[in-house]
Amino acid sequence: MNILVFTKRVAATQEESLRIVGDGKDIDMSKLAFTMNDWDTYAAEAAVKIVEGTGGLVTAISMGDAGSDEVLRRAIAMGANEGFLVEVEDALDDPFARASLIHNFLRAENIAFDAIFTGVQSEDDQFASFGGILAGLFGLPFASMVVGIDNVEHHHMVIRRELEGGVQEKMRIRLPCVLAIQTGANEPRYVSIMSIRKALKVERKVYKGSAYRADTKTMIRREKWVYPEKNRGATILAGELSEVCKKLLEILQTKGVHQ
Amino acid sequence: MSYALIIGEVRNGVFEERNLDSVGICCLLQKKTCLLVPDDTAGVDERLVDTIVKARVAENMFLNPVNLANIVERLARVRGRPDCTILTHSSSGMEFAAYLSGMMGMAIITDVSGVDRERQVFLKSYYSDKIFGEFVLVEQKPFIVTVRSGSFKSYAAEKVASANVEYIEDFPVDESRLFLEYVEEEKSDIDIGKADFILSIGRGVGNKDEVCSYMELAESLRAVLSGSRPVIDKMWLPKARQVGTSGKTVKPKVYLAMGISGAFQHIAGMKESGCIIAVNKDQNAPIFQYAHYGIVADMHKVRDKLKQILSQT
Repeated sequence: MNILVFTKRVAATQEESLRIVGDGKDIDMSKLAFTMNDWDTYAAEAAVKIVEGTGGLVTAISMGDAGSDEVLRRAIAMGANEGFLVEVEDALDDPFARASLIHNFLRAENIAFDAIFTGVQSEDDQFASFGGILAGLFGLPFASMVVGIDNVEHHHMVIRRELEGGVQEKMRIRLPCVLAIQTGANEPRYVSIMSIRKALKVERKVYKGSAYRADTKTMIRREKWVYPEKNRGATILAGELSEVCKKLLEILQTKGVHQ
Repeated sequence: MSYALIIGEVRNGVFEERNLDSVGICCLLQKKTCLLVPDDTAGVDERLVDTIVKARVAENMFLNPVNLANIVERLARVRGRPDCTILTHSSSGMEFAAYLSGMMGMAIITDVSGVDRERQVFLKSYYSDKIFGEFVLVEQKPFIVTVRSGSFKSYAAEKVASANVEYIEDFPVDESRLFLEYVEEEKSDIDIGKADFILSIGRGVGNKDEVCSYMELAESLRAVLSGSRPVIDKMWLPKARQVGTSGKTVKPKVYLAMGISGAFQHIAGMKESGCIIAVNKDQNAPIFQYAHYGIVADMHKVRDKLKQILSQT
């Protein structure tokens, strides 16, 4: 079984405040660390786990600037056999443009696959669209929010996808297919700095994204960045930590949940 | 005829409430509206849309993007192609919207939480709501939008006495993706939905070893411990303790959120709580917009201090 897994390098912003600069045109990224998109670590784990059982090849693919080599190395350290970087200079905001570029790339380079895995979404733009658009372009069966791969056969897989409120949909999906993997679907393996360093020895091919731009239309355009609309906003408990904590306990008392 | 198509989401025969957000955005866009649902759908308010098209298929046909695309294409042949196709940004909505975009070569904007009709601008979240992007369509052609739950339902207004109802039928069943069954996740003894006081921890907890001490803190506060999605995904807490759209919706008297930044899927599961108190290092964390009280601090330091105070009393 040959599985292509898409991995994206994203800014780690969970505990960071983001600042808009240049009159809404940019976000200040200068102080941010970068990492593999969380969802993609689950996709990579799912791919590697299957291929460990069935044999075959896991190919990690990343679209981005040269820095994305770092996530390819991480994927290789997790067990991917090779890495392809589709190098584009500027990030494409439109997920349709991204997916159609990759669609062109896979066809132009005759890259064969039994399945394509992506994360459900990326932490930065949260479009949750890339895998689905790619499946639509190829006309392949597609499932998103995949939380379980129960059975892998020659021509199909039995999988479960998450609906809402604790209900899942179980299905049989024919290969080749495109699956968008949800976080929590597995336990992504730990990779050491050593193994990421060792991955340097595995070849990562670089393709120039500009070669696959033909007919990739940009259909939506981001005009500007804006901060979220302010809601009512919280009353901030300020002061010394012990004071703040005492105030917190007082509030709990007032609300009748603490004596 | 220019109109918006809403693809209704139905589970076990019932029209899901989140569809009202799709209705709401159509009202804001001032579009004629056509709602597509499987036949035998209960709970549709026939005053909210101009036309209801009922597809004579089993509900699970709507779960397979290939089948649903066939149904939508038939509808477009009968009624003309809609200017915009609207779904909710749910598991099925996001799945089908993206597939249809690829299949038809249509523009797509997902997780839309605001719209400006005059400027034709769609507002979309980035970085877990820390920043939003304002998007426009490059060309005025049919497009697809998924809408964020809770963003537009207050705009859903009655527009007709009773919608026209039409039927379409006779569709092939795609065999490349076969529905097998709905699976309920495992039941558990804990019901966080019943708690008066919930202490909830998020990604900020850092690693598994820290979770234990929050269990202790919850015990000394007589609170029930829960977590946001990252904590459950990493299996630091069991699934039954997950708050959010894919977990439980809770309404305790007090919800104390520590190290939770406030992704909308989480907010949707707790925003009805009587009193929300948030502890987060990032003063701009979205959760502070929903909390009644906030503490800008390292959650571990707050934990340690609380434990210290509680042990003295």
